[in-house]
Amino acid sequence: MDVSNFLSALTPLNLVLALCGVIAGTVIGSIPGLTATMAVAVLVPITFSMEPASALILLGAIYTGAIYGGAYAAILLNTPGTPSAIATTFDGYPMAKKGDGDLAVAIACFSSVAGGLVGALALLFLAPPLSKVALAFGPVEYFWLSIFGLSLIASLSQGNLVKGLVGGAFGLILSTVGIAEISADVRLTFGSQTMIAGFEVVGALIGLYCIPVLIDLAAVPDRHLKVDKNVGSLRILEAAKITFRSKFNLIRSAIIGTVVGILPGAGGSVAGLVAYSEAKRTARPEQRFGEGEADGIIATESANNATVGGGFIPTLVLGIPGTPPDAVILGALLIQGVRTGPTLFDGGGTIVYTFIYGLIIATILMLPTGLLIGRYAYKTIITIPKAVLVPTVGFMTIIGTYAIRNSISDVIIMISLGIFGWLISRFGFAASPIVLGLILGPIAEQGFVQSWIIGSATNDLWGMFFGRPISLVIVAFTVLSLSYPLLTKLRNKQKEKAA
Amino acid sequence: MSATSNVDRKRPTINQQNVGSLVIATLFIIVAVITLYDTTHYSDMDSKVFPRACAIVLLIFSVATVIWELIQPSNVDGFGSGHWWRRITLVMTMLLACLAMPHITFIPAGGIAFIGGLIAAMHDRWTSHTLLLYWGSGAIIIVAFHSFFKYVLYVPLP
Repeated sequence: MDVSNFLSALTPLNLVLALCGVIAGTVIGSIPGLTATMAVAVLVPITFSMEPASALILLGAIYTGAIYGGAYAAILLNTPGTPSAIATTFDGYPMAKKGDGDLAVAIACFSSVAGGLVGALALLFLAPPLSKVALAFGPVEYFWLSIFGLSLIASLSQGNLVKGLVGGAFGLILSTVGIAEISADVRLTFGSQTMIAGFEVVGALIGLYCIPVLIDLAAVPDRHLKVDKNVGSLRILEAAKITFRSKFNLIRSAIIGTVVGILPGAGGSVAGLVAYSEAKRTARPEQRFGEGEADGIIATESANNATVGGGFIPTLVLGIPGTPPDAVILGALLIQGVRTGPTLFDGGGTIVYTFIYGLIIATILMLPTGLLIGRYAYKTIITIPKAVLVPTVGFMTIIGTYAIRNSISDVIIMISLGIFGWLISRFGFAASPIVLGLILGPIAEQGFVQSWIIGSATNDLWGMFFGRPISLVIVAFTVLSLSYPLLTKLRNKQKEKAA
Repeated sequence: MSATSNVDRKRPTINQQNVGSLVIATLFIIVAVITLYDTTHYSDMDSKVFPRACAIVLLIFSVATVIWELIQPSNVDGFGSGHWWRRITLVMTMLLACLAMPHITFIPAGGIAFIGGLIAAMHDRWTSHTLLLYWGSGAIIIVAFHSFFKYVLYVPLP
């Protein structure tokens, strides 16, 4: 790590690549259905003729831009542009509906940049020691992590916990449709070839989040979002103040994002959900999460962008991709002839340190470009007539879902789930617990079954599930997360009595 | 007489909205039972344990929802206001476009979905100006996205 690597990252070519990567990633990430993985995969061939460090900078910039870009659709259309932005919808869309969409987009940008920087700095200074975290996580830790994520159901149930648990269990069942990962049994397909591959998560969440909004928008003549008359800027100063006032939430969420990013297979969606859960657990009494609370956006966006740097740690140090886009980038590196491993950081590590500095520069460049594109996206959404907005978004959901697996069946499932999501939402069942179950189900099942097999083989099931220190910490957080609202209520009651 | 009316006033009654909740909860009970039945055909215990556990949880909480709705009907929105024909037009044209896509290729199918959505979401009076502008912008959006996905992202659109 020396100055020459930093200067190498600052060459005009690398700067242009970082800028173009961030812009391309942000635009692609903002389109529902186009994930960060797809953005990176599509643009990988461009990098084959480049120097390895420049190629990595471009891919890293696309990746970080795409993760941020997912926030636009989440805030303005209640549709996570990428799965990482699921938890952004919880408070982003309510904020936009209240007329603070511009503020929400700017807060998302500041939080993403801050989170991205924390992740990149962790990659710069702590990569080799932090990579050991990835190895310390076994199946049982993944199981408990997913249970911790599922504890969010308690807070996403819109005031009816039982209905939330129904939704969560239904989502978990949906996640088991198709071929079982461990024993290869075909489950819940009822003979249908289409269902063998299971539900496509991105398509399902587009359906469950976006289609109900479109159905409601089409039915009534009201405007899509409440808008102030003096629309012109993104309320940047106000957003900066709000974001940095919540510095503890910002840093904690970024650290959560970095650590979750290190864990292979977890990714930005899990990071965002865990950070959101923590932010909600530690909220002040006057904060109303789920009703347009800025801290919800700060937590999610800083965490999901921190997974970019975090995910690169096991990718570069161990050759184990932390997140799906990292797997694509790892493939690109292998084609370039770069061998990943601890030796990559030794002897000056020209390629890797130039890339890390490039990633930091790209993340900083995301601030002006993100705010600019965000302002344009916001203005477009609020000025476009509703009669054009509804069919345009509807058309985007069709083409976006089709592009994931080139499957018309996925599109039909997406629309059907959307209709179902709209119907149940009318009667107090929320879509979010279903999505939570759908995303965390495979992680929970795989972790549980593998732990069960290992525990049975070693004749120590109890010790397997409750005898490992990391597991116990996660279990403690889960219990705390579930009991905290109850404890707060009891404490408030006692205070009232005392008063 | 007055005592009865007081009781009636205190206890919420089941209305159309709560019937909706009951129907959905019953639907979830059916899903849970089907899942439990399906798990009996799996050859490996590892495949059964997770879906079975989830189905049992779904069954318990769905039954609890039914009981809760009968004892203490919850306050839910129901279908609310809005035009049904618009909702149906929107989703039906989207589904129709998907079904027609393999036969009529992507652009005409996208056109069907777009026109359906346009008709469903247009609450103002149609004028020649809006007709030209909206339909024209629809054509541009469809062609632009088609070109982007097909020629830039190499998605094999039908």
